[in-house]
Amino acid sequence: MSARQTGEPTAYDRRMLALMNREEARPFHATAGRRRAVVGAHLALSVLGGAAPFVAEATGRTWPLFVLLGLLVPWCLATGVLNSATRGLLELRGRVLDERQRAERDRVLARAHRLTTLVLLAAALGAVAAGGLGGFDGGPLGDGPLGDGPLGDGPLGGVRAGSLLLPALAGALLVHWLMPLWVAGLLVRDEPADEREA
Amino acid sequence: MSEQVHNRLSVVRAERKVSRQQLAAAVGVHYQTIGYIERGQYNPSLDLALRVAEFFGLPVEALFSLKPFSPLTDEVYGRKQ
Repeated sequence: MSARQTGEPTAYDRRMLALMNREEARPFHATAGRRRAVVGAHLALSVLGGAAPFVAEATGRTWPLFVLLGLLVPWCLATGVLNSATRGLLELRGRVLDERQRAERDRVLARAHRLTTLVLLAAALGAVAAGGLGGFDGGPLGDGPLGDGPLGDGPLGGVRAGSLLLPALAGALLVHWLMPLWVAGLLVRDEPADEREA
Repeated sequence: MSEQVHNRLSVVRAERKVSRQQLAAAVGVHYQTIGYIERGQYNPSLDLALRVAEFFGLPVEALFSLKPFSPLTDEVYGRKQ
């Protein structure tokens, strides 16, 4: 009978549980202010890293890809700090979380879902407004199969619709993927000094 | 309906010299969850409350109540008026 059927933690689960409860990163997330700073840094690194490939594509230069490589290490460190702050709330499987942690995870995911919806709605409205509220010239999605026509008469009038499709999808994916981690990082409460010892 | 479940977990735990980590390991939860319960930030499920009561060998109502607990010394010795 497999671990999935019995609900017993696997060796992987136990290793991850120990990893998520290590104390090395504690000084970086001990206070609400530090956690907010880490979430802000993680958000900024994610946006910069996510934009880098598209900047490289648009400019035809390779330096943004090196910037992306340089951002990977601090991004991984910030992700580790947030996972440590949340004790692996979003990384660990449900079978190694207790009832309070599962309830907390549900609350985080629900709030992140609402925030993601608002962000995507704002982005969609912004895109419509920037496109001059006139939709796309040259057909519903431009001239090509993925919309190569120019966008309306607004500020983005000279931009090809197709060239924005992939960055928009990548941005939506990034928000969808990372919003729960940011929300979880912001919702963590301070741990009293004697919590572990008493 | 009361949303706050009062408890005297910290008092009993201190009296029995049991750390949060030890209690958490015994009842199968994270040590922070014990702290959350003690501070009234999380109401345990009936299952968890019963497991905690069983660990201390006490009836569940000795540890958890919908009404605030009076101090143990008052219950044992009575309050002098």
